[in-house]
Amino acid sequence: MDILIYGIINSISLALIAIGFALVYGISRLANFAHGALYVVNGFIVWSILNILHINYLLSIILSLIIIGLIGAAIYQFILIRVRGMAISEIIASYAIGLAMLEGFRWGGFKGMTYTLPVFIRGSIEIAGIPVDFQRILLVLIGGLVVLLLWLFTHYNRIGLALRGMAQDERAAMMLGIDSDKMALIAMGLGSILAGLAAVVILPMGNIVVEAGYDKLIMAIAVCIVGGLGSWVGAVIAAFLIGFAQIITVKYIASHFHMVIALLAIIITLVLRPSGLFGRQKELEERV
Amino acid sequence: MKKKSMWGIIIVVIVVIAAVVIYYATRPPKIVPGIVLGCPLSTAFLYGWDAERAITLAVEEINAAGGVNVAGKKRPFKVEVIDTRDLEPGVPVSEALLVVEKLILGKKADFIIGGPVRSEAALAAMDLLSKYKKVSILTTGVLTPKYHRRVAKEYDKFKYCFRITGEAVWMVTGEIIPCLLDIGKRFGVDRIFIMIQDVSHARGGGGLIAKIMAKKGWHVIGKPEIYPTGTTDFSMGLIKAKKEKAQVILIWMDMPETSILLKQWYDMKIPALPFGSIIAAAEQPGFWKATEGKGEYCLANVVNAGNAPSNATPWTMKFVKAYKKRWNIEPEGYGTSTSYMAPYVLKDAIERAGTLEPDAIIEALEKTDMMGVYGRIRFDPKSHQVIPSVDPEEGAVGTIFQWQAGKRIVVFPKKIAMGEIKLPPWMK
Repeated sequence: MDILIYGIINSISLALIAIGFALVYGISRLANFAHGALYVVNGFIVWSILNILHINYLLSIILSLIIIGLIGAAIYQFILIRVRGMAISEIIASYAIGLAMLEGFRWGGFKGMTYTLPVFIRGSIEIAGIPVDFQRILLVLIGGLVVLLLWLFTHYNRIGLALRGMAQDERAAMMLGIDSDKMALIAMGLGSILAGLAAVVILPMGNIVVEAGYDKLIMAIAVCIVGGLGSWVGAVIAAFLIGFAQIITVKYIASHFHMVIALLAIIITLVLRPSGLFGRQKELEERV
Repeated sequence: MKKKSMWGIIIVVIVVIAAVVIYYATRPPKIVPGIVLGCPLSTAFLYGWDAERAITLAVEEINAAGGVNVAGKKRPFKVEVIDTRDLEPGVPVSEALLVVEKLILGKKADFIIGGPVRSEAALAAMDLLSKYKKVSILTTGVLTPKYHRRVAKEYDKFKYCFRITGEAVWMVTGEIIPCLLDIGKRFGVDRIFIMIQDVSHARGGGGLIAKIMAKKGWHVIGKPEIYPTGTTDFSMGLIKAKKEKAQVILIWMDMPETSILLKQWYDMKIPALPFGSIIAAAEQPGFWKATEGKGEYCLANVVNAGNAPSNATPWTMKFVKAYKKRWNIEPEGYGTSTSYMAPYVLKDAIERAGTLEPDAIIEALEKTDMMGVYGRIRFDPKSHQVIPSVDPEEGAVGTIFQWQAGKRIVVFPKKIAMGEIKLPPWMK
């Protein structure tokens, strides 16, 4: 039972971290290596609003998501747009931006374990004899809600449909009058908001540290490679595969192999099916 | 004519005198060369930044009092800090070695004090210190007994290396085990579950505790659970501890994520007392606020007295107050009081040696005997390890405290204890 409960929690936590990365890549074919940094930066934004401006927690979260969305959009509009289409340059540029943001915070004195966010609800309950705190239960609910809203958005909203169109076939979408750069800008903003949302849900269980930016980026990449780059449905399924594999490893093998699982999953996927579970990027080449 | 030439002479004399006065008044002061203390520290982490602050404070105090008397000449200390990043996950040891070399060659460090902080990096740096004949005093982080054993084994090569802080074997056998046995006796508990970080000192320390506690008749639950640096979820380990009816959870981790472990412990109401042999997060004064009080009852070993308020020696509270005044926070944890004492010990050795020559300084350091912030400071002349004790009159004393109602209450050793250990209400 503990594997089931904490497997679900771990999987949804991974899905929340990765879904923004998958969305941006799916729509704009842009590997946003600043994703982990945006996660940490949003944690620091909420912390700053809460502790410096002393604004209500919910309002702080909403405000931070708007800010992080604008930061993400600005990164695309002022930097990444210039290197769009050049995959290596995109990776280098976005990674450099992330690095600058993270190390900037470290340089600015945001280090140590004293930066924390309050949990939404204090306390815990026992489910079938397994203790679970309310924040983790909320994480599962919010994670599920995000996936549902994202599905509704990309199936019933005009912009969401345009984003999907872009993800399916950029040239055809452009022929129908969809502005590719505008969609990439929206995708980057939305991806940043999703990274920020993951931060506000996950960080109250721990603390805000610069190093998390690098860890979360690796986890997001691992999930997206296994799920298939660009497929957010694949990302969700891969998150469950890796999430459960991690928990089973901790329980039955050894806890220090926890981090190895994600990296192992990348290697296995690249060897057996480079396009991932639901990726279409190299599907044709693989068939050939 | 005579009158005119008289005036001329007077004017020339005045001009010459004025020129001489102006020259002496405006010439740059004679620069007294400073004694450069090169500090390789992992400044993004507690054991690095607290050391930097403590060294800075000590140097400011020493310089304000006139500096160091080197054979009759007063010379100030100058601090040069470079971030080694050796406590960060994934940063290779070679980075720290580059920093040590840069401090020696680039910054012209006369002495190396502080780090490297990670045991693996400090062990690797020993050869560099030997190569450049630089006397070094380790003040933080490095707990591995290999460090002073190497000095004892190859004295001529590694005689430059001193350690003024504790080491794992004494910490385990002289402090942690007696404290655990005391807890066992007082509360009738004997089931221990060990959670450690995947680093050299933690693996060694955790394994040693498991072995000794088993010999002492305690039930050690399984093998120590090992977590990679940067782990953010400890739920499965805690569930195991609960299922196996652990009564004490021994934690040996120097990563900041240990605060997550304690938050989870509280949220899950695990009926076991958390005992941090090394637990970086819980050491700091800001821990209480950061965990919203969820870390109450957690025991933390801060290795040396003075890293939390106590009355170990008359200098302890004086240091605590000075640190608080300078940095607006109490001494923060392991590495603070030792890093503060290192410049004082070095000053004392330099003044006795009357030179900066390494061999003379080594000889003087070997003869160090001073009452410091955490007790009597002496080095073992063979291994250059500070001599530990549970009595501040005899040697360097450690400190284990417990978080109680927002305060760090020293509970071990008995001679400096400020209160008694308490159990969380859900354990009773």
